[in-house]
Amino acid sequence: MLVKDVMRAPVLSVGPEWTLEDAYKLLLERGIRHLPVVAEGRLVGIITDRDIRLATSHLNPKGPCPGCTRVAEVMTQEVVTAHPLDPVEEAARVMRERKIGSLPVLEDGALVGIVTGIDLLDALLKLTGVTEPSGRLEVRLPDRVGELARLTGFLASRGVNIHSLLSYPEDGDFVRAVVRVNTLETHLLAEGLRQEGFEVIWPPKKPW
Amino acid sequence: MVIYRDEYRLYNFGPSHPFSPVRLEMLTSLLQALGVWREPLVPGEATREDVLSVHSERLVRRVEAASQGERVPDLEHYGLGTGDTPVFPGMDRAARILVGGTLEGARRILAGEKRVLQLGGGLHHAQYDRASGFCVYNDLSVAIRHLTRAGFRVAYLDIDVHHGDGVQWLHYEEKEVLTLSLHESGRYLFPGTGHVHEIGRGEGVGRKLNLPLEPFTEDESYLEVFEALVPWALSVFRPDVLVVQAGADAHFLDPLADLLLTTRAYARIFPLVLEYAEAYAGGRVLFTLGGGYSLDATVRVWALLYHVFHGLPLPERLPEGWLREWEARLGKPLTPTLHDPEAPYPEIPRRREIEKRNRLTLERLTELVRPHLVH
Repeated sequence: MLVKDVMRAPVLSVGPEWTLEDAYKLLLERGIRHLPVVAEGRLVGIITDRDIRLATSHLNPKGPCPGCTRVAEVMTQEVVTAHPLDPVEEAARVMRERKIGSLPVLEDGALVGIVTGIDLLDALLKLTGVTEPSGRLEVRLPDRVGELARLTGFLASRGVNIHSLLSYPEDGDFVRAVVRVNTLETHLLAEGLRQEGFEVIWPPKKPW
Repeated sequence: MVIYRDEYRLYNFGPSHPFSPVRLEMLTSLLQALGVWREPLVPGEATREDVLSVHSERLVRRVEAASQGERVPDLEHYGLGTGDTPVFPGMDRAARILVGGTLEGARRILAGEKRVLQLGGGLHHAQYDRASGFCVYNDLSVAIRHLTRAGFRVAYLDIDVHHGDGVQWLHYEEKEVLTLSLHESGRYLFPGTGHVHEIGRGEGVGRKLNLPLEPFTEDESYLEVFEALVPWALSVFRPDVLVVQAGADAHFLDPLADLLLTTRAYARIFPLVLEYAEAYAGGRVLFTLGGGYSLDATVRVWALLYHVFHGLPLPERLPEGWLREWEARLGKPLTPTLHDPEAPYPEIPRRREIEKRNRLTLERLTELVRPHLVH
């Protein structure tokens, strides 16, 4: 999954000469939180609803003046950006490490989109979501060559189709695999997997 | 009025498949042995047109072709020819016979009948464009559509342990259909949907309700949320008829799922449903069967339904002759009483936590739909 698959485009932007009042109106009208600032076709900054609220707060020593303050005075000038072909996980890592809420997406210097935290949550939902009627198996695999292949091979031998597969590392050299399969009979599969020596977390074995 | 015909048993995916016609054979023979069986109304088969009221032409064409043994290359795309829903000769007609029974139930309701028990059907996973999870044609939705086209407002109650996804999606944008499904959470169980946030779309918003329950939910917790949710939703929506999918697979013996209901919960649920129908749906109710894959438990749950439906006193022991015959045929012991024994499974250590989580799920669902759910 790449940034171009999750980014929003086209993207709304403002000029550095806009007043904070006008920029804030645009944010409110469109229900968004981030505005790239563009001058002469180039990205020169980014301004967020938070920047504007802080700049226009009564706690601001200079006092609030949303109609007379320019975007250029408040915007962040050193903008962290992404490229459409960046992997989504890289965008997520940059946003997490810099603790920022969005990345404007640039291609050959031109602003082509924006990716925000919400878009990354959408990506997470897509990766973990249920798009086909399916049952769920959860298996704990030793973290070594061929274990996942053994699992998927078993499912293939039972004529079961895998709709999605999610895996993540666990402490102690294990990998947790969550598999969505096109069958109601996951208990039967779990029984077969246990007979083959797999550690099946879900569905559980019933003691009665 | 009870609807049934022996040809329901033609809907047969083979001897090792859990959706077994043996369930109907056992059930009817048990009711006969108990001396309570009354001659049912024998329904006709649904027509192709009836099926097309909720399914796509391209799905029906494929079911027909596969029924005749034709090779269809893209069957799997339509959910057919899979391990769960394999094809068999005559499948199209067998599925239409089940649809015919439920549809006949709807027609009888429109003709003035109050209570109908269809001893078959309940194929709630079948979708517009695909078969799914043992279900080829959606008899429930064909019946519901017949009722709404006649101007009825329909409340659909699904107590099968699996989410009633097919019925929900088929009527997702309809304001005259309330769907209400209680099931083991899709986080754990097929088909994976049925979250509280699936509340309908367009005119249907607030009229599709899902109560996903924790695995190992027991009688007490199930009844607590059932009695809080169902009468509330029905009293607000005020349907003209209640359609009930009475799957028996939330029973603790069910081999496919993880809820822990006993026959005692069902002995409470079925009379409640009749009460709710009286109070909120003009007394009109159409029951179908559904899932249920422990032969022992399923047959007892549905026999219980049959007794409650007719207002008959519940028998305690099952007839000896019937037990001997079926124990010999199945090669395993059966529960000799209609009810499960007391404390039939070990205590569940997480019980309190499960109860709390189910309560919280009910709260979330109520918060989500309350602003939308109006008459």
